[in-house]
Amino acid sequence: MNADYQYLVAKIQGALADDPRVNMLDIRIMVIQNRVHLIGEVMSEERRMAATDVVSAVAPGIEVRNELRILDVSLPAEPEVIID
Amino acid sequence: MIRVAAVGDVHFSDTPDGKLGQYWENLHEHADVFLLAGDLTTHGGLRQARALACELERIQVPMFSVLGNHDYHSNKNREICEILKDAGVRVLEAESESITVRDETIGIAGTSGFGGGFAGACGSAFGEPEMKAFIHHTEQLAGGLETSLNRLNTHFRVALLHYSPIKDTIAGERLEIYPFLGSYLLAEAIDRAGADLVIHGHAHHGQEKGVTAGGIPVRNVAFPMLHRPYAVYDLERSSVARRDFTRNHSVVPA
Repeated sequence: MNADYQYLVAKIQGALADDPRVNMLDIRIMVIQNRVHLIGEVMSEERRMAATDVVSAVAPGIEVRNELRILDVSLPAEPEVIID
Repeated sequence: MIRVAAVGDVHFSDTPDGKLGQYWENLHEHADVFLLAGDLTTHGGLRQARALACELERIQVPMFSVLGNHDYHSNKNREICEILKDAGVRVLEAESESITVRDETIGIAGTSGFGGGFAGACGSAFGEPEMKAFIHHTEQLAGGLETSLNRLNTHFRVALLHYSPIKDTIAGERLEIYPFLGSYLLAEAIDRAGADLVIHGHAHHGQEKGVTAGGIPVRNVAFPMLHRPYAVYDLERSSVARRDFTRNHSVVPA
């Protein structure tokens, strides 16, 4: 892993955390050649799209592969019984 | 029996999308109390808090919450607390409240908590003032939690946090960020005071279930991990606990 790679990942991570359109701290970032892959789950399509814009702004010229998924909601599960 | 519903890390944006609200509407059919484990907003914006409040206003059971790190980000935490209060949510920070459900009582002691790490790999109040301040902040919050748990004289006692008190429920997160996900000081305080259940959020990639060194069940209810609008825990008293409730606390060794 070279220094440029590490600094780019950190720069993207910081931007995704700071930008109010995203504010995500746990998006996984992988840089492969001239591509940035974004992996993880976000709450909304709006936020998913914003992640691409944020990365494009901090890393111009790099292709963004947005693989973020929208969090799905399942039905509430059966209760767990806790006896003191 | 008291039914506790809980979720954290719902990270509301500026407009309510009904994604969770549609399930929360009928929450009273499944639970007697609703706990929110912080990170209610995306970055602590007031519009985000109002969007959440819109969804919470329809809930028909008592609601308690702590704030998470995202809710502090815009330095509007006081205003967020007010918005939530208007929606019927009691936000707890080193405080506790109790309610009666049918013929039983439940007390909730809450704090956001903070980081520092876990025994064997944790920060110490040593060195630069900034490092000391970091650890002292966690110590202070843990102390507040212990005091508020000790004040409760209810059948059941629940500790509500944002940060995790144990490692078990953050397993799955990257090891490098463990010190930012919680602190053993919180678990130590809870074990000293006693509780029936600990609820927290913050660890989106963690595990739901864990236990403190003292044997108290811990549940991570971060929504991105649960993928459910809430989890429900039915608190029941054992026959031993029922007989011994004349004591101050509901936690009785079986």
